[in-house]
Amino acid sequence: MASPSDQELLASQARLPQHVVHRGFVAETVVLNLRTGKYHGLNSTAGKMLDALEEAPTVGDAVPGLAEEFEVERPQVEGDLIVLCRGLLERGLIEVSSAPPA
Amino acid sequence: MPTQERATLFAAFGLLLEVDPRIDVAGLARPRAGAPDEGAAATPTRVSLDPAELERRWAPVGTTARRMRELRQGDRVALSVDLAESAGYLLQAVGVGRVLISPDGTELLCDPLPESPEWTFILPAQALPLAATLRGLEVFHAAAVVLGPGAVLIAGDPGAGKSSLAAALVRNGAPFLGDDAIALEPGEGGLVAHPSVAALYLRSAEHDRLSSAEREALGSPELSVGKRRYGPETAADAVPFGALFLLERGDRGAPIERIEEVDPFALLAATFNLSVRTPERLTRQLDVIEDLVRTGRVYRLRVLPGLDATRLAEAVERCLAAVAR
Repeated sequence: MASPSDQELLASQARLPQHVVHRGFVAETVVLNLRTGKYHGLNSTAGKMLDALEEAPTVGDAVPGLAEEFEVERPQVEGDLIVLCRGLLERGLIEVSSAPPA
Repeated sequence: MPTQERATLFAAFGLLLEVDPRIDVAGLARPRAGAPDEGAAATPTRVSLDPAELERRWAPVGTTARRMRELRQGDRVALSVDLAESAGYLLQAVGVGRVLISPDGTELLCDPLPESPEWTFILPAQALPLAATLRGLEVFHAAAVVLGPGAVLIAGDPGAGKSSLAAALVRNGAPFLGDDAIALEPGEGGLVAHPSVAALYLRSAEHDRLSSAEREALGSPELSVGKRRYGPETAADAVPFGALFLLERGDRGAPIERIEEVDPFALLAATFNLSVRTPERLTRQLDVIEDLVRTGRVYRLRVLPGLDATRLAEAVERCLAAVAR
């Protein structure tokens, strides 16, 4: 999917490709792209978002749980999640695809 | 017909080494009786003096090799590592010579420069840690000794005082594990640290600061690569991981504190080999970092003004004694 719109992104399924591994530490999540050999650091909030993205059927489905966990409004989480997804996509750390039918 | 001398077996960095008798590496130890018969130690890594074979393997592929690492001194390259997938990793040290390490780390071909009589230092300093990395171990840029039941690793920037602190701990009776590179291996019971070579290098300034009694406790040094090389008593076996101390300069605060939120990138930066970038190695590197953090025994060790290596060693001993209680 080439540069999806915000709405398309929220309706998509986000997954880590096989060439990406990550490990969670106390204050940071390290994401390793095995193709480039580059390590990337996510702060603990972004790390929790990544965990939620992996579990949720779509990006949008991750929003309610994160809003509850962080005690912030859903639109704010939605916006932050979109920014994170675009950053991860740009670095080849996630792939997005159309969500499978429920 | 000349008879060929048989290679001699040694052990270092978790590897069993079959070393050409013409190669004399200071501080290499013989493998202990009943050495492990599986893992990286099961199949020896052969270390041969064979410039012709090195050239035969490297010449056809050298032009397509990728530069994986380069260390510069001023404008010139002092050390480099190039990778050609079929031949392996070519380590070149200016004024020293070349070592070709096979892709699986089981063979090292050496081509020293005739004008470099001390060339073999490059083996424990660079080539063997690279081979150990290729064979599944994770090597840290650290000095290490054994305190109590565990290996104590001391990492930090060059010149931070790793060797001096290790020397002070050895003077107090701790068996030595290694000076500059320590191989860690994940096992069922957790990480273990393997002895490297019995060679501890002190800068002349540090050597000059030692009292005669302190020098005596370390044994007789030899002058080597511009430093004093001691050959302290070294642990014969792998030792379970005990603690990691990250040395840093400081001007205030407690000398030692346990790091609650370990920065994984600080530990990644302390790993030794940046040349091996295979997916398997990169994943293992991250796994070992995770294992280290999980132990909860990563400490910051501040080198405060007026705190010399002897007092730092006492602080480390007190810290570990308190943890053990």
